[in-house]
Amino acid sequence: MGSFTANLILASIRMASPLIFLSLAELYSQRAGLVNIGIEGIAAIGSLTGFLISLISGRPFVGVFAGALAGIAVNMIFAFATITLCAEQIVYGMAINIFAPALAAFIYRVYFGSGSELVQAGLMGTLKSMLGIKSNHFLVNLFLDQTPMVYLAYALVILTAVYFSRTKSGLNYKAVGEYPKAAATLGINVIGVKYLSCVICGALAGIGGAYLTTCYSKTYVDGNVAGRGFIALAAVIFGRWSPGGVLAACLFFGFCDALQIRLQLINNTLPYQFFQMIPYVATIVVLAIIGAKKAGPRSSGQPYRREER
Amino acid sequence: MNRKMLAVVLTGVMVSSLVPAFTAYADDTRTVAMICDSSISDGGWGMACYNAMVAAAEKTGWETMYSDSIAQSAYYDTIVSYCDLGVDMIYAPGNQYTDAVLQAAEEYPEIAFALLNGGVDTPEKAANGNVSSLLPDATQIGWIAGALAGLMSESGTIAFIGGMELDTTLAKYAGYGEAAAYVAEQNGKSVTLLDPVYSGDFSASDKGIEFAKAMIDQGADVFFGDASAVDSGARQAIDEANEANGSITIYDIAQPTDLLGQNACVIGSQVTDNAVLIELSMKAVEEGNFGGETLFGTLQNGVLSAGELNTEIVPEEVQTAYADYIKQMEEGTFMQ
Repeated sequence: MGSFTANLILASIRMASPLIFLSLAELYSQRAGLVNIGIEGIAAIGSLTGFLISLISGRPFVGVFAGALAGIAVNMIFAFATITLCAEQIVYGMAINIFAPALAAFIYRVYFGSGSELVQAGLMGTLKSMLGIKSNHFLVNLFLDQTPMVYLAYALVILTAVYFSRTKSGLNYKAVGEYPKAAATLGINVIGVKYLSCVICGALAGIGGAYLTTCYSKTYVDGNVAGRGFIALAAVIFGRWSPGGVLAACLFFGFCDALQIRLQLINNTLPYQFFQMIPYVATIVVLAIIGAKKAGPRSSGQPYRREER
Repeated sequence: MNRKMLAVVLTGVMVSSLVPAFTAYADDTRTVAMICDSSISDGGWGMACYNAMVAAAEKTGWETMYSDSIAQSAYYDTIVSYCDLGVDMIYAPGNQYTDAVLQAAEEYPEIAFALLNGGVDTPEKAANGNVSSLLPDATQIGWIAGALAGLMSESGTIAFIGGMELDTTLAKYAGYGEAAAYVAEQNGKSVTLLDPVYSGDFSASDKGIEFAKAMIDQGADVFFGDASAVDSGARQAIDEANEANGSITIYDIAQPTDLLGQNACVIGSQVTDNAVLIELSMKAVEEGNFGGETLFGTLQNGVLSAGELNTEIVPEEVQTAYADYIKQMEEGTFMQ
């Protein structure tokens, strides 16, 4: 395999990993009937929290855990507003996207001061470095030069697939997103499942954000989530609301992003903006094709009012 | 009931947040407001520009305000918001703010607009003559980095990462390439500069990582950039590559402040002292003669300089040769 292809594949894996966490977060939310477009904001607060706690504790794992907790805390605002108050989900998701990154920027500024030097925290080690392997063979780098979070991301995809299709609890969960009133008549705690979905969604989105600052980049910069929360939304639709499909979508988006970076380097005739468009054009094309037939949860985006007939 | 209570609380918070906006600038202290699309804590451009404003304000007794990490679509609105607050000067550190600055300058003739890296012809375009360009010589900036790259490159391939395709970025790229080629040739080497790449914004440090990895694959061993936090991502990737190699053989040249020591791969920095230019602008406002001119920042007037070299990596003979080239640049004899 040529070095261009090998490095392209490795870069695709790197760039897809945070997307997998964020897309799974959105999947769990939508499967319970909650369209949460605030993933971008939750990831931003997770990113900062992960960075700060990793820096303070010197342990990136603790940073990831803290990122998950911060994600849950922020998503509880969305949960209370949309589940208890039955507010419009899109509006509150957008509010989270405005509020959470601003809160993250504020906390960073308070903690480090204005105009401070760029602070760098240590990153989580890869399995290859933990095992002391020196080989730079492509397969070694592909399967072993990854942080434990990458393995966790793929394990979560499998667990989610099994949970939604092979367990009674998972089927109940999906029932809440499909037809909550029918689910309630079967004794399923609809409100409880919806809140649970927000806890899972907040945790995964927070982990996705924390991944960026504990496994990928040593620094926290405002805006470092860089639209991944919105790509996660597209990935869930692209993936037809299934864990396997979502994984394929994330790998596809990661590949497109990695490709545009490398194409900029080898092509000097086309303007660079042309290559930067690739991930977004690909998203539009894929959604235009895949999105023609709706396969999402039927009550997605609709408030659940227990007393309403 | 819950919703009503929540609405009342939120309304109260919103109203109370407006109070400082109407009370903070009632006194006679002059105020400068900076807008920036990158973070002021990015360890690069945003940080340097903010610190330059603060340093200049400390000397002149002005107060400072800022908005950072703002989107391109919010340039104009943010500037106008500060104009409405009655600031004396808007400080926009980047060529990309030109259109927003010119539009706002037309609507607020009593306010001064200092455009760092603005075009030479930009002040003429301002209808009210209330715009000045502060223009560090981008070609000289490229030379300062390029001369070091030409001396240090072993592979004969050097790289440049840009944030956006701005005029100043293109000038830095061109200066970097021509200085590196000239210096390398004088030292019996040949250096090729890879085509420029652009991250599209100034905060995507992950893009910097990926660009640097891809350029290292193409043999680049000296990097220079004009992309703020993206550059810090590139430096991380270079450090990782050096760690994997077991020695530091791939280098980075930082800008616009002296970042020696921030990363192991940094061998030197190109330093721009924007505070001098901002201070001159502030004094012009105080004296009532601001606007309609371009204040140049060069090696000759001390705004530009070469930062400290990493003496553990840069050999002594290279340090001496580099100092000679910088002297030639100051004297105007470089590449003559």
